[in-house]
Amino acid sequence: MMQSIAQKEFVSTLRDRRFVVLSVLVLGLLLAATLVGRARYRTLQQERAVAQQTVNDQFHHQPNRHPHRVAHYGSFAFRPKSGLSLLDSGLDSFTGASVFLEAHQQNSVNFSQAQQSGSLIRFGELTVAFVLQQLVPLLIIFLCFSAFTEERETGTLKLLLSQGVSLRQVAWGKVAGYGRAVALVVAPALLLAAWLLFGQEEVAGSPDVWTRLGLFVLSYAVYFFLWIVGSVVVSAWQEHARSALITLLGCWMLGTIILPKATANVGAHLFPTITKAQMDAEVHEQAQRGINGHDPQDKRSAALKEGLLKKYGVTSEKELPVSVAGLVMAESEAYTSKVYQQHFADLTRTYERQNALSTWAGLLNPYQAIRPLSMGLAGSDFAHYVHFQQAAEAYRYQLVQRLNQLQAGMGYGDKERKLDAATWRAIPTFEYEAPPLGWALGYLLVPTLALLLWAVGLCWLGLKVIDNTRVA
Amino acid sequence: MTYILEAKDLRKQYPDKLALRGLNLQIEAGEVFCLLGQNGAGKSTTINLFLGFVQPTSGAAYINGLEVAKNPLEIKQHLAYIPENVMLYPHLTGLENLNLFSRLAGFAYAESELRRYLEHAGLPAEAVQRRVGTYSKGMRQKVGIAIAVAKHAKVLLLDEPTSGLDPKASNEFSELLRQLSGQGTAVFMATHDIFRAKEVGTRVGIMREGELVDVRPTTLLNANELEQLYLHYTH
Repeated sequence: MMQSIAQKEFVSTLRDRRFVVLSVLVLGLLLAATLVGRARYRTLQQERAVAQQTVNDQFHHQPNRHPHRVAHYGSFAFRPKSGLSLLDSGLDSFTGASVFLEAHQQNSVNFSQAQQSGSLIRFGELTVAFVLQQLVPLLIIFLCFSAFTEERETGTLKLLLSQGVSLRQVAWGKVAGYGRAVALVVAPALLLAAWLLFGQEEVAGSPDVWTRLGLFVLSYAVYFFLWIVGSVVVSAWQEHARSALITLLGCWMLGTIILPKATANVGAHLFPTITKAQMDAEVHEQAQRGINGHDPQDKRSAALKEGLLKKYGVTSEKELPVSVAGLVMAESEAYTSKVYQQHFADLTRTYERQNALSTWAGLLNPYQAIRPLSMGLAGSDFAHYVHFQQAAEAYRYQLVQRLNQLQAGMGYGDKERKLDAATWRAIPTFEYEAPPLGWALGYLLVPTLALLLWAVGLCWLGLKVIDNTRVA
Repeated sequence: MTYILEAKDLRKQYPDKLALRGLNLQIEAGEVFCLLGQNGAGKSTTINLFLGFVQPTSGAAYINGLEVAKNPLEIKQHLAYIPENVMLYPHLTGLENLNLFSRLAGFAYAESELRRYLEHAGLPAEAVQRRVGTYSKGMRQKVGIAIAVAKHAKVLLLDEPTSGLDPKASNEFSELLRQLSGQGTAVFMATHDIFRAKEVGTRVGIMREGELVDVRPTTLLNANELEQLYLHYTH
């Protein structure tokens, strides 16, 4: 019986010209967003791959140099785009794309697209995620708001029920029928995306990307289910189609515009971030308390030297098998790194707290549950960004320390000498491996739970409303 | 014996109005009971109570011996319903509408059978494959009749079913009702049409302000006398 009702809703929807026009529009937008996302992904990915290759080559092709010169010459780490970011670019446009890796300091990741484009980017880009998260719910509202009101107003509901169908069966049948219609609009774009992804050799063979895509589709299926059930229930609850439409549009505005902005503001207010200048000043001040590698008059350097003389049983620096300057550099690097790590960790924690507030708001608002879930699966959320930042820092630290060790190994008077060009070619360059899905799952737990709770809660509430729906 | 349709002290109180005050009524198989009364007399409330769409304040309605309020789904197997203005799904054809409603009632008919039901109800053959959105009120009414007939129910609940039908179609409908009652179907029909009530009814009841004030066998009255009786009660 549910099947018959679902079929009727599906067929009626397809024959309704208003819906056809609207869905062709949304479908067109989705396909366009997929292609635009794909083009943007390819451009950025290529740019970054070329840039990374260039700086790697430059690093490897340095002439004979002193290792600390090489440490200051430094290198760059470019963040590769994740395969699924063509569907949801998440924070990618606002987080930096590259970081300068050098001795003595941990630089922030810079050159986001937002930094380099006009102010238009602030108004949002056309991405598949935007269409799926905000426009498809609107389509669902227009499709479902009169599900019950129309049948009640015309009296078909009485005829339907007189055939021995329960209100619950009618409601589920409608949900199934509308679900099929929505799938018809959304599926082509996702299939196109899957096909485009499949055409990319670096992703085609990766089960991680496919699992992420699978979960991505599943999450949106739950999200759309919520909107469909919600719309059908509101339609059963409200007396007239017009009031059902207004109620649903109100929910849409509250969920996709007002609440996200409000929680972002509350988050920034509750957990204020310190300014870049403030953080730089603090780091600088604290770093000074450690050994300054470039200051030969530093007292702690002298103490270190004393220790070394004792350790090797010699009386002058000249007799030491190691370069004091190199070891001082290593010591100083370890200290400043710690200072930077601490401050970056504090900053990251503040951002995470702000984000957590929004994620927990997913319990109140499914839009704020699907958003982190979607960008988490696409690998474009804050956690994935921090992962890159930390990988870049880990690489920087080991690179600088390796160079400091090389310097230390040069012995006394290292400053007058240089190391052979072949030395630099032996140093491995930065290679970033994006974290696997298993790593990301921890961050996706709350939004996933929120979506599922919504699904269960809405169905429960919906059945109550449906059972009490007035027929005549 | 169990009656096909029975009301025991059936009462419905709305917040602002007493719609039905203690209705007692028994209808047997093959009977055609016509309920006359002005708008707002409680005819539609009575039908809604038998359909289970409205809960009684006190008393009970029974269909085939089952209490309606306690068996809202089971009783639907025994009844068919035609409203005053049959509204169908405008994007589906007449055939698809009949197919949908029959399937919901548990009947999977072949297309030829569905066509036969529609034809039997008087729908022109050319209209069968057209979308209902293009139908006239009378044509929709005929699909409604086909839906009711195809259900093979023990009792028909009709709420002014002939409104919107032309005299010829109305006459065909009366003929159909006589046929069905001959086969043992009970009919409970609310109507304004005194002439039609006299013609197809076996009994007529007159309702005023939620009260069944008179019930008479039609054989004892002619149309004129029935009209006088009706006017007597309603003025």
